[in-house]
Amino acid sequence: MSRMSFASVSIGDQLPPVSRSVTQETFWKFSVASLDYNPVHNDPEWVKTAQPFGIQEPVGHGMMTIAFMMSVVSNWAYPAILKIRKSDSKLIFPVLAGWTVTCSGVISEKHVICPGKNYVVIDLEAKNQDGRLLGVCKSEVVFPD
Amino acid sequence: MNRDFFSRYIQTEKQKQFDRDFFKEAESYEVWDEIDFSNLEEVEGEQKFEIKAEDMKYFAEAVMDDNPLFTDEQYASKSPYGQLIPHPVFVTQIIFWCIGTRGRGNWIRTPGARNPGQYMELYEDFRVGEVIHIKMKPYDRYIKRGKYYLRYQIDLYNQDEVKKAMAIGTLILPKNRDDIRKFLRGFKGLEA
Repeated sequence: MSRMSFASVSIGDQLPPVSRSVTQETFWKFSVASLDYNPVHNDPEWVKTAQPFGIQEPVGHGMMTIAFMMSVVSNWAYPAILKIRKSDSKLIFPVLAGWTVTCSGVISEKHVICPGKNYVVIDLEAKNQDGRLLGVCKSEVVFPD
Repeated sequence: MNRDFFSRYIQTEKQKQFDRDFFKEAESYEVWDEIDFSNLEEVEGEQKFEIKAEDMKYFAEAVMDDNPLFTDEQYASKSPYGQLIPHPVFVTQIIFWCIGTRGRGNWIRTPGARNPGQYMELYEDFRVGEVIHIKMKPYDRYIKRGKYYLRYQIDLYNQDEVKKAMAIGTLILPKNRDDIRKFLRGFKGLEA
């Protein structure tokens, strides 16, 4: 691990992306991990008629999509001892089993406050294998230097 | 819901104890059109969350994040962090546990609820051994394009009352109890 200085990053810098291939098992496991057992993610029989999303099959948790996006940030920030302070996400389309979700991030803002309080804003997107937008997120990361 | 899809994945102590049936206590869930916004008193969650390494590790594995800071205690102990740290979205597990089944905030368990996106602030890393409790209060309630949104502010504190994180939890919900009952019977209970 090595620290990253605020001066070394620039607006437009791309963070390494993250890809996750999901199945119904992924949704079951995330239910267990998150303790969110909403049947829309888990129960194919119930979803067929209840269809909260207008879709006849279970969908992935929104928090799963957000977690995938935030992995882009933590992969980049934590080894450099940066601090993730905030995340503000919007979910656009639910994830279906069999999809591959790819999340990308770019530094969109640099907030020059003072040493120890400078921070960047990272704009994140999650898309499926066809390029369909699934979610967006803005995350603030503070530089301790 | 009696179908058990989960047994083979249950590993941690909290996972074994947690009530997975989101239908069972649904008649006690807070409902969008019944929340009392004249009373914005903060209330505690139903239970506290003692953070164990297994909680953090399982969550990271479930989101397929192999960052050793989340999963490898030996690696993390030699890092500048000194011990395991959680994935940034680990708060989800804490919140569902602390809200519990019958207490305030239990609308997050409503069958048919939809997640439009979430807001959270992280102040300090959660640490193994901390005991987290939450305080929450109604934050906003609105209608937008035929959908009924409910938001609660949820503050997370450790045993020393250090504020660790804050979330504005938001869901699109069935409007009233009859709509929830439609979902309990397996039919759509949302207007949009």
